[in-house]
Amino acid sequence: MNSQKRGMTLIAKQKAAGWAFLTPATLMIVVMSFYPMVRAFIISLQTGTGANMRFAEPIFSNYKRMMADKVFKQSIGNTFFYLIIQVPIMLVLAILLAQLLNNKDLKLKGFFRTCVFLPCATSLVSYALIFRSLFAQDGLINSILVKLHILESGYNFLGNSASAKIVIIIALVWRWTGYNMVFYLSGLQNIEYSVYEAAKIDGANGWKTFWKITVPLLKPTIIMTFIMSINGTLQLFDESVNLTKGGPANSTITMSHYVYNTCFINVPNFGYASAMAFLIFIMVAVLAFINLKVGDTRD
Amino acid sequence: MKKKFLSVFLAGAMVLSLAACGNSGSGDSGNSSTKKEEGGSSEGGNKLTVWAWDQTFNIKAMEMAGEQYKKDHPDFEIEIVETSSDDCQTKLTTCANAGDYSTMPDIVLMQDNSYQKFLKSYPDAFTDLTDCGINWDDFAALKQSYSMVDDKHYGVPYDNGVCAAFYRTDVLDEAGYKIEDLTDITWSEFIKIGENVHKKTGKYLLTSESTGGDTIMLMIQSCGANFVNEDGEAFIVGNETAEKCIDLYTEMIEKDVVKLVNNWDEYIKTVTDGEAAGIVNGNWMNATLVGIEDQKGLWQITTLPKVDGVDTATNYANNGGSSWYITSNCQNVELAMDFLKSTFGSSTDFYDSILPATSGIACYLPAGESEVYNEPVEFYGGQPIYSTLVEYSSHIPEFTKTPYHYEARECVNTAIINITNGTSKEDALKEAQETLEFKMTE
Repeated sequence: MNSQKRGMTLIAKQKAAGWAFLTPATLMIVVMSFYPMVRAFIISLQTGTGANMRFAEPIFSNYKRMMADKVFKQSIGNTFFYLIIQVPIMLVLAILLAQLLNNKDLKLKGFFRTCVFLPCATSLVSYALIFRSLFAQDGLINSILVKLHILESGYNFLGNSASAKIVIIIALVWRWTGYNMVFYLSGLQNIEYSVYEAAKIDGANGWKTFWKITVPLLKPTIIMTFIMSINGTLQLFDESVNLTKGGPANSTITMSHYVYNTCFINVPNFGYASAMAFLIFIMVAVLAFINLKVGDTRD
Repeated sequence: MKKKFLSVFLAGAMVLSLAACGNSGSGDSGNSSTKKEEGGSSEGGNKLTVWAWDQTFNIKAMEMAGEQYKKDHPDFEIEIVETSSDDCQTKLTTCANAGDYSTMPDIVLMQDNSYQKFLKSYPDAFTDLTDCGINWDDFAALKQSYSMVDDKHYGVPYDNGVCAAFYRTDVLDEAGYKIEDLTDITWSEFIKIGENVHKKTGKYLLTSESTGGDTIMLMIQSCGANFVNEDGEAFIVGNETAEKCIDLYTEMIEKDVVKLVNNWDEYIKTVTDGEAAGIVNGNWMNATLVGIEDQKGLWQITTLPKVDGVDTATNYANNGGSSWYITSNCQNVELAMDFLKSTFGSSTDFYDSILPATSGIACYLPAGESEVYNEPVEFYGGQPIYSTLVEYSSHIPEFTKTPYHYEARECVNTAIINITNGTSKEDALKEAQETLEFKMTE
């Protein structure tokens, strides 16, 4: 009897300790994240410029307005373009680099890994500004291309909508490949070497080993980086503002950049901006959910 | 034993660092709370806080105003917080929208183009200055209209945004023109001259930003019109003046008379590299020009070209410029009003003293008659540009203002880019009209 009582109290104590550790963080998340989300939703139901906010008639008019907003639809198109083109390129590159740098016999591994990761340590604004001056009409890239006689005169990278989008994609790949590579590296190092030995004995070459063994074993890491990349790309802001300022005639503007314009550059309409931000939130949530379901290998 | 010691040591270090974080956090909030008090002046105090940008220009002028006022009012103090123009707008939007005016300063510098937007969104954020003692007739009518609503004045006009056409006389010589050939002309004459200049020298008579370019706004405003009608509604389709301006501008792009660049840095580069043989913009470009040593003596200013076929067209326009506003957070409105009135509002001596120090040109019409303003300027080959510019500013026509200035500019520039890329003019203008109307609805 006594020992039973002590047993229960011990478990209860451990449970209580668990809750005690969780509570402060949970409270902070509720106050800092969930409460603002609820408030933002309420604001998105209101309309009016500046401080003259009132509830909209009908109540979801901000959401209906989004459907008619041509620039917003263009920004959605641009953001999804970046998502579909940039994320696969970046992840494939990251996983290949991770595989290369995981080689035990490679010299100067630490140096190469640092080099690939270093872009992530740069500030978003500074790297965007530098890329902007690199791809300027008389920037470094154009000077090199002209000197090598590939082009007659500088090509206006940032002035044409197609090439401006490509410049943004190149900048994104440069910046985030290292970040994802680190995740894949740590994932790779969790795979035991004996698995590769077994594959070698069975006669698999490098390519087959990679696709049939490494990638399936890395599945949880791939899913995680995929979700993070979707989240990051859908909320893309700094590059759009600093590299192209929305691009020639709104051809590279992203959703977050348009939301910012609605709040601070144009006559402020916070209700409409909140509605757009909520739509972005829903999109990210839906895509992440699909991602999880597709990648879920548990029974 | 060693493990125990290590774990206790690490835990202690963590606790200490958390406590330090907490302390510095409260220290920071302590600082920001004192800053909050400094946000507005205290009741009956002698201190004013100001938000302004540009150390060599606006901030310097405000400092000099403070010194001048201090001569008669020894306990007067002024505190200037350097805040960039965009930041001023963002900060004001944020605190006005939160309804918390306590972090706003007493006096704030605002760009004229953006002021109407703030007045529409946050009408109680600023103080009415109509009866503060300034003689409003001493200021150019157009400049005042930027900071007025229904005959009430909210701002003290400050730097003059009057536009001029700056030309490289040596490039013009090479192409066989004189500065007189470009004075008081029309845009179609400008296009002919521009084509010849480009053929003979390879330089552009005009450069402009592609999406953020002000040239098209200058053109329509020089006709006393805007991309909105008198009721403030979007007016692009059916606006004959607008269509003529857009036609001229697209013609300039197609005939290589104007070079479009992607952003502000590239725009300035065309000037410093000598690719631009002409600038049509606000007189504040002067500050950039005088820094280019190897172009000394090669520039001269004259009036803008005017739009053909429009009765109300003139050779004058305004771009930018700013005014000082007193926020409603100011506890010491009398002091602020008196300060602004006796320096920016009426003192010719003040404007004389800031001109050589900052090359800031006033909108105060009597100031244009002083000696300092009439001095010939070496950089411009001896042309007395300051008095010339003040004279130009008295001819600028008035036009209907709109809080949606930036939206209108973006829509029209987008339409122009689409037209040069092959879209038909009717479709591009229709899209611009619809987009602008859309942005204006709530």
